[in-house]
Amino acid sequence: MLSTVYGGLMLLYLAVGLLFLAAGLWASPSLNRWARVLFGAGLATHTAGLLGRWWESYHLALGHTPLTHFSEKLRLVILQAPMSNFYESLVFFAWCLPFLAILTFRRHLRDYLGTVVALAACLLLAYASLGGVDSRIKPLMPALKSNWLLFHVVTCFLGYAAFTLGCGVALIYLFQERRPRPSLQPLPELDRLIYQATIIGFLLLTLGILTGAVWAETSWGRYWSWDPKETWSLITWLVYATLLHARLVKGWQGRRIAWLAVLGFAAVLFTYFGVSFLLPGLHSYLT
Amino acid sequence: MPKSKPDTRFFPWLWGQLTSIRLTVFLLLILAVVAVVGTVAFPGIYYQAWFLLPLGLLALNLLACLVEGLPQAVKKAASPYTVEKALTLPERGRFRWPGEAEAVTLAEEALRRELGRPHRKIIDEKEVFFYDRGRWRPLGPYIVHLGLVLILAGGVVGKFWGIEGRVLLQPELPESSIKLDNKKTMPLAFQVRLERFQVLYYEDGSGTPKEFRSDLTFLQDGEEKERVICRVNDPVTFGGYTFYQSSYGVMPSGPVQLKVSRGNKQQVLELFLRRWVRLPESDGQFMAVRVEANLQGHGPAVQLAYRSGSGHPQVFWLLQKHPEWAEPHGAFRLTMAPLNLQYYSVLQVKQDPGVWWVYAGFILLLVGMYLAFFRPSQRWAVVLQRGKGGRWDGRLLGASPRGKESFALHTERLLARLQGGAS
Repeated sequence: MLSTVYGGLMLLYLAVGLLFLAAGLWASPSLNRWARVLFGAGLATHTAGLLGRWWESYHLALGHTPLTHFSEKLRLVILQAPMSNFYESLVFFAWCLPFLAILTFRRHLRDYLGTVVALAACLLLAYASLGGVDSRIKPLMPALKSNWLLFHVVTCFLGYAAFTLGCGVALIYLFQERRPRPSLQPLPELDRLIYQATIIGFLLLTLGILTGAVWAETSWGRYWSWDPKETWSLITWLVYATLLHARLVKGWQGRRIAWLAVLGFAAVLFTYFGVSFLLPGLHSYLT
Repeated sequence: MPKSKPDTRFFPWLWGQLTSIRLTVFLLLILAVVAVVGTVAFPGIYYQAWFLLPLGLLALNLLACLVEGLPQAVKKAASPYTVEKALTLPERGRFRWPGEAEAVTLAEEALRRELGRPHRKIIDEKEVFFYDRGRWRPLGPYIVHLGLVLILAGGVVGKFWGIEGRVLLQPELPESSIKLDNKKTMPLAFQVRLERFQVLYYEDGSGTPKEFRSDLTFLQDGEEKERVICRVNDPVTFGGYTFYQSSYGVMPSGPVQLKVSRGNKQQVLELFLRRWVRLPESDGQFMAVRVEANLQGHGPAVQLAYRSGSGHPQVFWLLQKHPEWAEPHGAFRLTMAPLNLQYYSVLQVKQDPGVWWVYAGFILLLVGMYLAFFRPSQRWAVVLQRGKGGRWDGRLLGASPRGKESFALHTERLLARLQGGAS
């Protein structure tokens, strides 16, 4: 049932992306408005889908270990958040994009920027539904049974989503710089948006790494073990730290910052997909 | 210190280099590149000079920047926002109120609603209301860097003063020492005993483990002190050491009884794990390497090594149900008595005084980032003055070098409030 919902949602995000694109090409405020309403509806459906899977996953787990106390049940709810395998992480990543975009970039969410966000969400859902990813709900393995799972995954993926937004804006910046269109956001505004997305992503990625470290300390007695996922998240962190120093201390702006945002996003992509498929390690349950 | 020409003396030059942003960015990139190399080809590189040297330099760079800039930042953050400073801010808008308006209340109210309670001063017959936020912003970057230094220091403390090892526990056999990572043995001031180890599975037939648990008892001078359960994600602490469920396996609870038949002669050997035992009246030797409770679905099995004289050993599996599959040597047949297997449990044991440094660093890192990125320093002032015919002429002043977006928003709303204020 839920997979049909996500299939429909994927098409909806595609339609939103095309609407935003048309709004950008014809400089149409009313198309933008329609696209935004549909995007909001998509996010609402997506949220409902996530909650539905959470509910289902919780009840399956309750079948394995019947509980009576409220506190035990609450803990099980936290543990059963739908973020424990690759499929669920893709769907959650896709959710983070419209959520964060609407939360932080509401006033700028139009035209090509809207297109980029909606299409990115659509692609992630397409991969989840059509990419042969195992979508079954499986019982949680002992290594993942920790309250930190929820905080760790939520902060990491919101961070990834912020960097995706940053990269999207950076691409629009680079495009605008070559062929300026007066109807779109002016360059200084785009430049500011890249910075906004980067600092939000940087704080969230930092939180993600720190919650991961605290979790690793409480489960294995090691806050850092140079696992490939850890190392690549550190590499990503270093790239964005470089961007922030270049901007805040050296005063870099514009094109060079945009390219650094693209480079940082390449590191994010490798941290998420590349490490899971190419470098085995502690996070290998993701594949 | 006047900086008329670049300093060519060594120490000032060195200090200049150490505090330079160029060094920081260079080191960040070097570390990123070495880390990439490490994940692809050399997993141990993080403990070698290739990584530790730039990391150490980065720590020096951070410290130098702290020493260089922190006092100034503290001074800046501590200096109050005064009316004199307020009056130098650039103008952001004007408004006019009729002479009978309750100007003081109106201005105070507008600022309080939009931002917070302002200060008020009268200077040169002007009513000045001023408000600032994000005064601690200059400290943000330094707090971040202090946090990073603490994290690195915590790593060093853990490396030199921490203890990391493991202990293999067999049921009922108390252990009073741990094996350190450098292969040395370290005695503990207490004993730990495994009561039993269990693997619990989900009942859905998928074979997914649900829980690994070791039931432990800690003893001191032969006296039971504490009974606890150690699970994955749920470590236990005793006597200053923390025990983490790390891995497990099976082992025979007694010697493996190996029956060796040569012609019509039968001999029984008692094998202990990893010890050579000579077969009487021959130069052959056997060793039990390891046991499996269920080898590829064929039931219990023992892996044996056999060597004759000083020859190269042969290694092969002997299955309890299918002893005929084992063909070590044409000269004899092997069988074994039913294996009695038991679980053993391996616990990671740790004592790391550096963890608290690292955690303190985490907190500073987050606080500093919040200040640096999300509390930009913003200043406003509303100046009221009697104009022609006794009416009020008002000006809104303000500046925020780094938080343009939210500053513009607040300024716009504040101006709307002030301009609509008297109607």
